[in-house]
Amino acid sequence: MGVRQMIEADSLTKEYGNVTAVNRVSFTVTEGELFGLLGPNGSGKTTMIRMLTGQIPPTSGSARVMGLDAAKDPIGVRGLVGIIPEQETPPSFLTAEEYLRFVARIRSLDDVDERCDRWFDLLEFGDKRNVLCKDLSRGTRQKLMFSQAFLHEPELALIDEPLINLDPIMQRTVKDFLREYVQGGGTVFFSTHILEIAEEICDRIGVIHNGRLLHAGQLEDLIGSGRHLESFFLDLVRGDAGA
Amino acid sequence: MPVPDLFCAMMKEEWRMHSTIFGSLGFALFPAVIAVFALLGSLTLPLFADVLPYDAVALFAHALFLLMGVMVGSFGLMGREFMNRRFGQASLVAYASRSLPVSERRIFAAFLVKDTVYYILLYVLPFAAGFAAATPFIGLDPGLAVLAFVSLALAFLLGLSAVCFLSTLYARSVALLAGTAAGLAVLALAAFRLGAITVSAVLPPYAFFLDPAVEPLAISLLLILVPAAASVLFVTVDYPDRTKRFKNSLDPLAERVRTLGSAHFIAKDALDLLRSEGGAGKVIFSFLFPLGLVWVCLRVLIRFIPGIDPLVVFSALLGVISATIYNWLTEFDSFTSYAFLPVEVSEVIDAKLKSYALANLLPLGVLVLAAATSGGAGTFIPALAAFASVSAYTLAVTVYLTGLHPNVMLYHAWVFLRYLLAISPALLLLIFASILDPLYAFGSLLLILPAALLLSRGRTRWQAWEMPGY
Ligand SMILES: Nc1ncnc2c1ncn2[C@@H]1O[C@H](COP(=O)(O)OP(=O)(O)OP(=O)(O)O)[C@@H](O)[C@H]1O
Ligand SMILES: [Mg+2]
Repeated sequence: MGVRQMIEADSLTKEYGNVTAVNRVSFTVTEGELFGLLGPNGSGKTTMIRMLTGQIPPTSGSARVMGLDAAKDPIGVRGLVGIIPEQETPPSFLTAEEYLRFVARIRSLDDVDERCDRWFDLLEFGDKRNVLCKDLSRGTRQKLMFSQAFLHEPELALIDEPLINLDPIMQRTVKDFLREYVQGGGTVFFSTHILEIAEEICDRIGVIHNGRLLHAGQLEDLIGSGRHLESFFLDLVRGDAGA
Repeated sequence: MPVPDLFCAMMKEEWRMHSTIFGSLGFALFPAVIAVFALLGSLTLPLFADVLPYDAVALFAHALFLLMGVMVGSFGLMGREFMNRRFGQASLVAYASRSLPVSERRIFAAFLVKDTVYYILLYVLPFAAGFAAATPFIGLDPGLAVLAFVSLALAFLLGLSAVCFLSTLYARSVALLAGTAAGLAVLALAAFRLGAITVSAVLPPYAFFLDPAVEPLAISLLLILVPAAASVLFVTVDYPDRTKRFKNSLDPLAERVRTLGSAHFIAKDALDLLRSEGGAGKVIFSFLFPLGLVWVCLRVLIRFIPGIDPLVVFSALLGVISATIYNWLTEFDSFTSYAFLPVEVSEVIDAKLKSYALANLLPLGVLVLAAATSGGAGTFIPALAAFASVSAYTLAVTVYLTGLHPNVMLYHAWVFLRYLLAISPALLLLIFASILDPLYAFGSLLLILPAALLLSRGRTRWQAWEMPGY
C-alpha cells in the first residue's frame, strides 16, 4: 500500500476583492509528516488553513483533506481533524473545563473526564479549570485551544501558530508533544513565522509569500546543503519581493 | 483628554464600527428609512382618525421614543461587552481609561453626549422630518413638526437618562436599585389608585407637545438632567479585580434540557446570559422596564380609545418585545467560535430557537401576572394567542433577516426597513382588529404559518452566508 495523502491542495486560490491572499498553491502532506508553512505577516498562511478546514470556500482550486473535499464537506473535514485557529476565541462565559466538555459533546466523545484531565495535566493548567475563558491569560487560552484540538485524538491537526503566547517551558512541552504525536502516526500541518520552531521540529517546510508557494521540500535537504533556514528563507522572500 | 475630544473620537468610532460592517451607504440610509416610514405613517393618519385620535397617536409616538431611549441606554451600557468582544477591548474609546490617563467620569459623560447626538440625528430628526413632509397633505401646521422634534427628543432623553441613572445605582449596589425600583413602584401604584396619574405626570415631554409652555419643558429637562448628572457623578466601572471561579454547570444544566436536543448549546446560552455583565440586571433594564412603561402607557391610552382591550394590545406588544430576547441570546456568540468545530450554522440557530422558546416563559409569566392583576382574565386566552404568535412571527422575521447577528444587522437600513415592513402592518392590523373585538386576536394565529416558513428559509439562507470581517 502506498503512502496516504492527508492533504492534497490543488491550485488553491483565495481572492478578497483585488487582494489575492492565496495564489494557485498546490502541495501535498503525507501521513506521519510534520509540515510547517512559513511566511511573513500577511503572506496567506491563515487563509490557507481556513480553506483547508472548510471555514472559507476557495475562489478556485480545491483541497482534499483526509480524502474529503474541504469545500464540499466542511463539516466532515472538521469532524475528522483538529484545528487551532489563529485567534483563540473560546466562548467567554464558559469555564475552561466547561468549554472542553462542550467540545467533547459536539464531537460526541466518551470518557470526557479522562480526556479533559489528560490535557489539564499535560499542559499544566488544571488549576485554571474553573476559571471563565474570558479571564484566562492568553497563554492559558492557547493551551485550552490546544487541548480542544487534540481532545478527540485526530489523525491530522492543523495549527495556526502553535507556540504563540506560550512560555519557553510550555513551548518545549508542546514541541515534544508534536514530535511524539507524528512519531505515533499522526500528521501535523502548522503555520508560523518563527523559523527556529520550523528548523527544530519540521520534517518538511513550505515557504509562502504574497500568497504564492515559493518552495516546498524536505528540511533535511536545506540544512544538509550547509545552509541555515533563516538565510534560505530571507533569500527566497527578498528575491521574490525584488522580482 | 477633554470631553469634546473624547466625544469626537467616539462619534468617529461609532460611525466606523457600523459603516465597516455594512458599507457607509447602507448605514447612512438608515435615517432615510425612518423618514420615509414616518412620512407614510403620517399620511395614513386621517384614515384612522375615527378610531385613533391624533392625540393618541402623538402619545404613542412619545412613548415609543421613550422606550427607544431606554433600549439604547441599556444596549449602550450592557452591550459594551458585546462590542468589546467583537472589536477588541483596546480599540474602544469607552475603555480608554484602562490604558490612557482619562477618568471614567469623563468617558461616561462623553458617552452620554455621543449617544444623545447620535441617536437624535439617527432617529428623532428623520422621524420629525418625515412627519414635517406629510403635514401639508394631512392639514396640519408644519410648525408642529418642529415641536414634535423637540418633544420627541426630550422623550428619548428621558428614557436614556432614566436607564443610565438606574444602571449607576445598580453598579453601586443591587439593594439600592431594588429599593429605588420598589419605591417608584409603590409611588406609581399609589398615584394610580388616587387617580393622580395624568399623562403629563408620566410623560412631561408629551405634555409639552400638547401645550408648549415653560412648565412641562422645565419638568422634562429637570427629569432628564438630574438623573443624567447623578449617573455621571456616581459612575463606577467595576474592573474584573478577581477572577471568578465556577464549578462545571454545563453538564448538569444540559441534563435538565436533554429531551429538547442540542442540550449543551442551550446550557451554554443559559450560562452566557446568567454570567455576563449585568446578569439579571440586564433583563430588568431591557425587558421588564420597557414592559412596565408599555403597561403604564396603555392604561393612559385607554382613556382615549374606549373600545381598547389593554390586555390584548399589551400581549401583542409583549410578543414584539419578547423577540429582543433573541438579541440577548445571540450577543455572546459569534460563529467564529464554532467555525473550527464540526457544527453547522443551522444547528446553532436551531439551538437558539429552543433557548428562545424556554426564555419565553418569562414574558408568559408577565402576561399571566398582567391578566391576574388587571382583572382582564376574560380576554386571557385571545391575549395568549396574540402573544405567542406575535412572538414567534417577530422572532422568525429577525432570524430570517439577521441570522445569528441581530445586534448588528438591524442597523443596516435595508434590513431594518424590511424588518419594519414585515412586522408593523401585522401588528397594527392585530391591534386595530382587537379594538373592534378582542376575540379577533385569535386571527393572529395565522401568523404562525409565515413564521414557520421564514424560519425554515432563514436556516438555509444563513447556512450559506459568510459573515464578512468576523
Ligand atoms: N477576510 C478578509 N478580507 C479581506 N482581506 C483579507 C481577509 N483575510 C485576509 N485578508 C488578506 O489576505 C492576505 C493574507 O492574510 P492572512 O491572514 O492569510 O496572512 P497570514 O500569513 O496569516 O499573516 P500573519 O502572519 O500576520 O498571521 C492579507 O493581505 C490580508 O490582508
Ligand atoms: Mg495568520
